[in-house]
Amino acid sequence: MNLLVCIDDTDNLESPGSGHLASQLVDIIEAKGWGLCSFVTRHQLLVHPDIPYTSHNSAMCFGVTLKAPHYLAELITRAGDFLAKVAASGSDPGLCVAFLEQVVDHQALMAFGQSAKKEVLNKAAAYALAKKLNIHLSEHGGTGQGVVGALAGAGLRLGGNDGRLKGQLHFETPGEVVSVAQLLEHSLVDRVSGLNGQRPQAGEQVELGEKIKTVMQGGESVLMIEPNPAGPVPWRTCSRKQLRDF
Amino acid sequence: MKSAVRTSAECLFGVEDWHSAALHALGCTTFRGDVDEEQIADEAVSCYNCRYRRWLAEGISCLADPS
Repeated sequence: MNLLVCIDDTDNLESPGSGHLASQLVDIIEAKGWGLCSFVTRHQLLVHPDIPYTSHNSAMCFGVTLKAPHYLAELITRAGDFLAKVAASGSDPGLCVAFLEQVVDHQALMAFGQSAKKEVLNKAAAYALAKKLNIHLSEHGGTGQGVVGALAGAGLRLGGNDGRLKGQLHFETPGEVVSVAQLLEHSLVDRVSGLNGQRPQAGEQVELGEKIKTVMQGGESVLMIEPNPAGPVPWRTCSRKQLRDF
Repeated sequence: MKSAVRTSAECLFGVEDWHSAALHALGCTTFRGDVDEEQIADEAVSCYNCRYRRWLAEGISCLADPS
């Protein structure tokens, strides 16, 4: 019983970001014992004059392995109430909960996510698709415009090739050298990959940068590294700037 | 903070003005770092990492209250 939970448009210029609220939802779900949650991913959507967004237009999504089907209704109600209560003044929060085994057409959900990176979409289209695919979609304040991004974010997460993981990975001190095998021991690293698709071997050495993040590729949390020609070892972790387009 | 370097009525910096965005933020009294997941510049202090920047297709604008 696998869910995707995605929220969008919950913040204003002064409030905690949607990522913070997504992490709080993760804590609530796990504290209630409804299921186990996976990492939170950030998904960039189109920035366009016709789209109302605060400053960056990104959605936040996480997966849930639900322990029993009857928790689904409770989770949806609790998440909606939570957003209505904590979303920032002036925001237009939207909530998407996709019970993947019951979603009629995964490809259509993924296509909507891709469209939201390229086109201006509207609430009517989001609600129509959610209804058709049997996905929960609801608004919890303001104009409710966040339903568009919430549905799109779920589609992008389902596609598995979009977004950066929320938070940084902590290993040793910056400048430390570790092996690819050691990087793979981190609970949030599924794979280590060269930025241009190279496949480093387990024993190869990597110099750690200051801010280490993973990105979502192939449905996995992937730590991107790049050649390190001037460094003491062959590889180094990629910088934030290099990960901007994920 | 906005008037000196604005290249148009809307856009403060383009999407690849890394050096200028960092330099400008260092002298800005309203800079405030955004949440980690929204920061993209390697320099901690950069207009690209500021919670008052707004992304546009062609770059960023500044939403900080200059007063």
